[in-house]
Amino acid sequence: MLRFSRDGMRMMRGFVFGAIVPLLVTSPLIAQVDSIPGVTLGLLYESEFQPALAVQPFLGSLGGESVASQVEAIIARDLRYSDRFEVMDALPGSLVGDGVDYQLWDQLGAVWLVSGSLERADPGFVLVLELHDVVYGEVHEQGRFQVPSPDDEDFRLAVHIASDAVIEWIYNEPGMAASRIAFSLRTTQGNQDLYLIDSDGENFRRLTNYDDLTMSPSWSPDGKRIAFSSRKTTGLPRIFELDLETSGDKMLDAGRDGDHNTPIYSPNGRDVTFSITGGNRSGIFSYDMERGCCLTHLSGGRWDDISPTYSPDGRRLAFNSNRLGTQYPQIYVMSSTGGEADLVSPYLFGQGGYYTSPDWAPVGDHVAFHGRLTDGQRGRFNILVADVADQGRRLRQLTWEGNNEEPSWAPDGRHLVFVGDRDWGTGLMVVDTATGTYRMLRRGIDVRVPDWSPSLGWAGLR
Amino acid sequence: MRIKQYLPVVALTLLLSACGGGDPPPTVVPTGPTQAEIDARNDSIAAARAAEAARAAAEREAARREQDRLNREADQARATIEAVVLFDYDESVITSAAERILRQKLPILQNNSSLRLRLEGHADERGSTEYNLALGSRRAEAVRDFLSGFGISGSRFTTTSFGEERPAVNRSDEVAWAQNRRVAFVITGGTISASEDD
Repeated sequence: MLRFSRDGMRMMRGFVFGAIVPLLVTSPLIAQVDSIPGVTLGLLYESEFQPALAVQPFLGSLGGESVASQVEAIIARDLRYSDRFEVMDALPGSLVGDGVDYQLWDQLGAVWLVSGSLERADPGFVLVLELHDVVYGEVHEQGRFQVPSPDDEDFRLAVHIASDAVIEWIYNEPGMAASRIAFSLRTTQGNQDLYLIDSDGENFRRLTNYDDLTMSPSWSPDGKRIAFSSRKTTGLPRIFELDLETSGDKMLDAGRDGDHNTPIYSPNGRDVTFSITGGNRSGIFSYDMERGCCLTHLSGGRWDDISPTYSPDGRRLAFNSNRLGTQYPQIYVMSSTGGEADLVSPYLFGQGGYYTSPDWAPVGDHVAFHGRLTDGQRGRFNILVADVADQGRRLRQLTWEGNNEEPSWAPDGRHLVFVGDRDWGTGLMVVDTATGTYRMLRRGIDVRVPDWSPSLGWAGLR
Repeated sequence: MRIKQYLPVVALTLLLSACGGGDPPPTVVPTGPTQAEIDARNDSIAAARAAEAARAAAEREAARREQDRLNREADQARATIEAVVLFDYDESVITSAAERILRQKLPILQNNSSLRLRLEGHADERGSTEYNLALGSRRAEAVRDFLSGFGISGSRFTTTSFGEERPAVNRSDEVAWAQNRRVAFVITGGTISASEDD
């Protein structure tokens, strides 16, 4: 009850002082698109209360002064990118003082306040981060974080981990600051190699140098390996696993002809499940990475199944198939041991609906994919999210302009990265499924099939 | 010998003198063969040599033409084998235009039983990157199935798909897309001979 009344007060505070509180955003398009009987399609953004959050200038002592402002800037932007707060503009230290003046922040309308101090440790620094409840004038949570020096490649990741702690303290939900996105880039010669970028758009770097067709990266659940497909060794697409720590790769020897594509790890990290097309037997197969054997046929037939994705509990698989006999792919869900598959995309015979590239959310029963509702929208796709528990009957459309493909969920189960094409730019874009907020993660017409990593909070640091 | 040689000259001179009335008889100077005679002889030899050369050239030309014909036939056969077949948007059905092209490949495949092909399926850039891999794969399989239907063993073909990643025409318009929705034929084994046996 106490909790409730506090939240209620924060909510009230937000409405009184909050700069821009998105009220119920009910799109005018909500009733416009209802072309599939029984399927409700709408931009049903929740009326989420976004509390005002302020960041007090971080302090440094014993040599920590130089990194304090860097750390503060990274955390402030992470909290803004979380799309869960109205992050207030920074105020100079001369104005707010060294200590925490709850009364001042209260008057400015802040509900939460983040403060931090950095002390030199050996090696690196220790960040002491505090989350203050401004309404009640007290420290809500506090944490100590090891932060290497800024020239260390893990410096930013260590700070992102602290940002995610703030999200967890307030919402008891995972953040996505300490994560990366793997994707491929197409060269002018038509080849593709794998690249990485941090969730805040920093640290763009090349991961492979095979100079061949290398694509469809997929993170292992521990964030230490990436599976992908490449023609680099045999001239035909085969599945490989790249160890991010050693940079060594190995080919998965499935002992079957045909093209091997679209790998994904099972949530326990044991199996890699992928698609074989064009061989004696096409379909979805899983391969036991631990034992290095035991290819298991899960689905398939005289059609093509591709792009498998696991439910968080590993019990179900969503995938792409044209098994209805038309040329247009649909999204199906089946048991991860194979068997009957249920259609979850809004299929209506003859209408030309095309749905592809499913990705199961890390929490909940939501499968994101891209598609078009009718034949008239050729080459124009939007990002859709189906509620699998409801057999896809509740469908949310997250984009309404340009072309939008290849969605992949962030570890917070709330943001999606996708390949977006707009009048004003093309590249990897991030959309918040709760508020509909967009940002460009990386510009480029040459980006392909991104995969958002799990939280690297415990795996990325050695 | 000399006298004998000059006799016709003397006789001709006398004859001309007889007709000429009172002209003084021309001085007859004994000489060697005239330049005209030498030229004529040389011309004759040259002509014979030229005729011989021409005959040899004609023979070489005939042989070359035959070889050219064989090469051309092999090239044509190779071009016929390598001719791409195109597909409709989002389709893997063999169109009537594609069927005509595939039927032209049949006699060559039948006459060159060592010939092995890789069928490479492609899609245009519209649609999903990953699903286009499946679409390209299905197009290659549709071609294999079509050729198998005419008794060409499916084991002579391997299939693979490049999806939308290797366009034939690197543009984003209907003309380019139509060229990019294709199956390409790559010879991976055996030879094409122009002769009818194999």
